Amino acid sequence: MNPSDQLRMTVYASLMAALTAAGAFIAIPVGPVPIVLQNLFVLLSGLLLGSRWGLAAVGAYLLAGALGLPVFAGGAGGIGRLAGPTGGYLIGYLPAVFVVGLVSEKTQNRAIFDILAMLCGEVIIYACGVSWLKYQSAMTWEKSMAIGMLPFLPGDVLKIAAAIPIAKAVRPVVQRARG
Amino acid sequence: MSELSVLHYRSGSSYFHRMDARFKLLGLALLSMAGLQAGTIGLGVLSLLVLAVFFITRLPVLDLARELRYFAVLLAFVWAARALSTPGHTALELAGLQFSRQGLYEGGLICWRLLMIACMGAGLVFVTRSSEIRWAVEWFLRPVPLIPARRISVMIGLIIRFLPMILDQARATAEAQRSRGMENRKNPVFRLIKFAVPLLRRTFENADRLAVAMDARCFNEERTEPELISRPADWAALSVVLCICGVAIGF
Repeated sequence: MNPSDQLRMTVYASLMAALTAAGAFIAIPVGPVPIVLQNLFVLLSGLLLGSRWGLAAVGAYLLAGALGLPVFAGGAGGIGRLAGPTGGYLIGYLPAVFVVGLVSEKTQNRAIFDILAMLCGEVIIYACGVSWLKYQSAMTWEKSMAIGMLPFLPGDVLKIAAAIPIAKAVRPVVQRARG
Repeated sequence: MSELSVLHYRSGSSYFHRMDARFKLLGLALLSMAGLQAGTIGLGVLSLLVLAVFFITRLPVLDLARELRYFAVLLAFVWAARALSTPGHTALELAGLQFSRQGLYEGGLICWRLLMIACMGAGLVFVTRSSEIRWAVEWFLRPVPLIPARRISVMIGLIIRFLPMILDQARATAEAQRSRGMENRKNPVFRLIKFAVPLLRRTFENADRLAVAMDARCFNEERTEPELISRPADWAALSVVLCICGVAIGF
């Protein structure tokens, strides 16, 4: 990869990180629970940038949040947020984006495998998120899942369904730099 | 960014403003970890420290309280769940639900810990410039192998630059679609796609222009470093932090 392509991918990864951050504040008002776009952008980072640069994007996002920049949902950032009850979801983004990117790369961006990749990603995010929530708040497994997973599942299905055509439309823009 | 959050740097010249950012970051990390283990006495000491920092630097406590209101809802949830699920003496009975005394105490302790950690993080942001935080992080990451510290600090700078651009673009896209009657379409997947595709395409085009401009100006990661200097007062602060951590974990 020559230096200017590398610079371009650095800028793209920063953009995906910033979109993930902005996704915490952008919501589409559908039904009673607005759909927050944050984890859609995490999944798209994997699909669009691939495993390595997707990991860089999410890593930079988490680091910016850990430093206290206002990038996490709800505004209040800081290292405390990563250690707080919802920190598991944020940490879970890292392995999730890597797996999504890896599966999508190995299967030449075929739609059916993209769906599979995103399902794996979601499983990883919730596995990390719910177990950390359980450990932090000392609730039972059933209660942790009822609070930390079930209300979000319908939204996640919609996001995965939407991510396929979105990735298809935006990939040509990104792929010029990835070569 | 300022409308995004009240959590940003407030200028000042207090002791905490003048501290070396590296020591502030290290102190915050140590105190956060100790806070997660602390009992009542340790949390009391931490609370006194937080109050002292907010008092000495005259920080906007009311703004912070408003910022943390969503966090407070989550804390209340955790407290209630804990009080309901822990067996013990019934302290309070409300609409058929039994809150045990032990549960109320333990839930309160957990919420107190999380609140203290959030307040300390906010305190750091109020008294430290984001560029100073960036340099401090770069300094800490430099000895870690396989992590390109310089590139990460460049990326964090770019994230800060992109955020307002994305929020403006998102607002413009949403308004354009509302004026075209998007609200009459009930299919959420359709709306998600029609919102995200233009947003992504336009922000990627902007990012592309930025990359070309940086490339044309021979952008390079080898830059002159800012100098971070530690003073005796910083080491004194670090030893105080270590003492507090000892108290918080020990009692």
